[in-house]
Amino acid sequence: VFRSPTDAVRSLPAIESLLRDLGPQLRRGGTSVDPGALLPTGIGTFDDLLRGGFPRGALSEIAGPFSSGRTSLALALLARTTSTEGIAAVIDGADAFDPISAASAGVDLDRVLWARAPRLRETLRCAERVLEAHGFALVLLDLAGADPRIAPATWPRLSRAAAATGTALVVLSAQRMTGTAAALALETAPAQARFTGTPAVLEELEIRVSLVRHRTAPEARGVCVRLPASRAA
Amino acid sequence: VNDLPLAAELRAHPELSDRPVIVASGPGPRAEIVAISPEAASRGVRRPGSVAHARAICPEICVRTTSPAVESAARAALLDAALSCTPRAVPIPPCAGAYAAEAAVLLDASGITALFRSEAGFAAALCARTRALGLPGNVAVASSRSVAHLAARALRPEGPDAVHVLSPAAETAFLAPLPIDLLDPDDALAEALTRFGVRRVGQLLALPRRALGLRLGPRVLELIARIRGGATEPPLPVPCGLRLVEAIDLEAPVDRLEPLAFALQGLLSRLRDRLAARRLACGDLTISLALEGGGRDARRVGVAAPTLDLRVLVRLLCHALEARPPTAPVESVELETEGRAVREGQLDLFRPAGPAPAVLSRTLAELESLCGRGRVGAPRIADDHREGAFELGPFQPVPRTAPQPAAGGAVRTPAVRALRPPVRAQVRVSRDRPEAIRSAVANGSVVHVAGPWRTTGGWWSRDERFAYDCFDVETSDGTVARLRFDHLRKTWHIDAVYD
Repeated sequence: VFRSPTDAVRSLPAIESLLRDLGPQLRRGGTSVDPGALLPTGIGTFDDLLRGGFPRGALSEIAGPFSSGRTSLALALLARTTSTEGIAAVIDGADAFDPISAASAGVDLDRVLWARAPRLRETLRCAERVLEAHGFALVLLDLAGADPRIAPATWPRLSRAAAATGTALVVLSAQRMTGTAAALALETAPAQARFTGTPAVLEELEIRVSLVRHRTAPEARGVCVRLPASRAA
Repeated sequence: VNDLPLAAELRAHPELSDRPVIVASGPGPRAEIVAISPEAASRGVRRPGSVAHARAICPEICVRTTSPAVESAARAALLDAALSCTPRAVPIPPCAGAYAAEAAVLLDASGITALFRSEAGFAAALCARTRALGLPGNVAVASSRSVAHLAARALRPEGPDAVHVLSPAAETAFLAPLPIDLLDPDDALAEALTRFGVRRVGQLLALPRRALGLRLGPRVLELIARIRGGATEPPLPVPCGLRLVEAIDLEAPVDRLEPLAFALQGLLSRLRDRLAARRLACGDLTISLALEGGGRDARRVGVAAPTLDLRVLVRLLCHALEARPPTAPVESVELETEGRAVREGQLDLFRPAGPAPAVLSRTLAELESLCGRGRVGAPRIADDHREGAFELGPFQPVPRTAPQPAAGGAVRTPAVRALRPPVRAQVRVSRDRPEAIRSAVANGSVVHVAGPWRTTGGWWSRDERFAYDCFDVETSDGTVARLRFDHLRKTWHIDAVYD
């Protein structure tokens, strides 16, 4: 409490110093998420392809077969989000989330809510409930093993819920299923797996990522992303 | 509440409040009329009479059957309204005779002006809270319980006349013109008083007590003591139970979830109003279903955080019923809960941005009801040598104590996608190494292979021991998977895929 304007002016350096120390822990309370906010993955070439990252308040999809790197990209996003933005949820319709792999990818497991839904119907309901809760920065919906014939009304509903709460909803699938409800859609494919050394060990996965839908950048583009089996700065 | 059967039915079915309604003693046209709504009375329906008689007078009349469960819930709701004003309240046991349809609660109003400014303010607040719970109650404040009870009986349920505060000096004057029937004397005493020409309370008080006692016995002295407020009144107990029950008898057996959910919503709505009146929230719910054919289905539905959110409570019950539907059509439903204190959440500047604590608790409860117990939470790495071993702990995001990684310091690594349960594989082996694989995940010849990495453990237990050889393999179809040979069972499985 400042008793006079002079007090306030004298205290400014101390306040600025405090704000610098607190850094990213500070946030504005009671304000909605900036509609243009993005969640980057921290993988430079990939973020460039997305023009900054996955959009908050929108539905995005990563589709691809096994070993196409979609889970690696999702975990990179999860790691970055839990380290900077707040908390995230993994709605695991495929029961495929591996905590050890997530931890080695840099995910803060304390900030991840993992729901292992038994069936597709429950998976979609779980996603809706989490989106309604307001406050999750990212919801990862893993439908990689699910039947792609999901009712078409599902995706606009989930997309609206994500927009209302400012949450980035990212769907993992084996083939594209969200249609035009997705603000951003990616298709991934395996490019190469490198095994080196004696005895041989898996050293690197190389994947191809194609941007097939982007609301603000409609042209299709693609990049190759390398996923080394060791930590890289 | 003077006419409990009608009040209880209208509380359970508020959509009937502006329709002519009668409550019958049982099913069928010959059942006796127990209660009549004002709309039905205005159309000429009278007691005594039968349902057939009422239908002949008013064809559009709505007939409800008395339900002990619904009436019991209404009595409990009346007590809840009283307990919302004072902790010292006790229900008067139901009586036989002319006032069998009455439900009454006695409250200790001593010192109540500290909360409500005046006794009139207290009475008005109590009346409003009773009506908020769907019950048309009368409230009278007097210097003794019996006088207050008699005064409340004499009041009309509608309008400002439903509340009356009697000063000790005015009590006798108020009671004097009231009919003697208000005291509910037994038949013999009522007949004797009528023979004496005593029809009003004032006439009874004017007679000499001693002479009356000699002629009519001690029962008349008890009546006089009640009027004068001199009856023995033991102290009111302090109720401690927070168990709340609501019930409904369905008109016809219900075998689908949707109409059952509709009935549950009504029950939960009434339960929520009662809890809110007592500043409580809903804890774990117990739902008991009476099934057609005499069966019963009772189940407990956990509520992770006490809540009054009707939508959440309905969803929790519906999830529980969807997961294990009743085996037969449902005839009646009873809901029971334990009132819990509401937790107030305080947001923390240093806690990660996320849902409010109460919202998060509700969401977790809903997710657990959808996914099953033990399938929702924060993942933890288990202290175990098995590949992919994990645990699920409670999800409670805490402030970060360790420094955060610098921005841009991304961790890139091929992620593992677990296959639960592992997928069985047929493997052709050459020189102890996999050469070709056939499975639902990866197929073809093995292009690259790394390993094996041997893992053993649990040797002290016949059921838990394991010995695996794990390989990282790339097959000709482009899949990079983790292949596992079980030395104990001599089987091959793929337990994860690099993705």
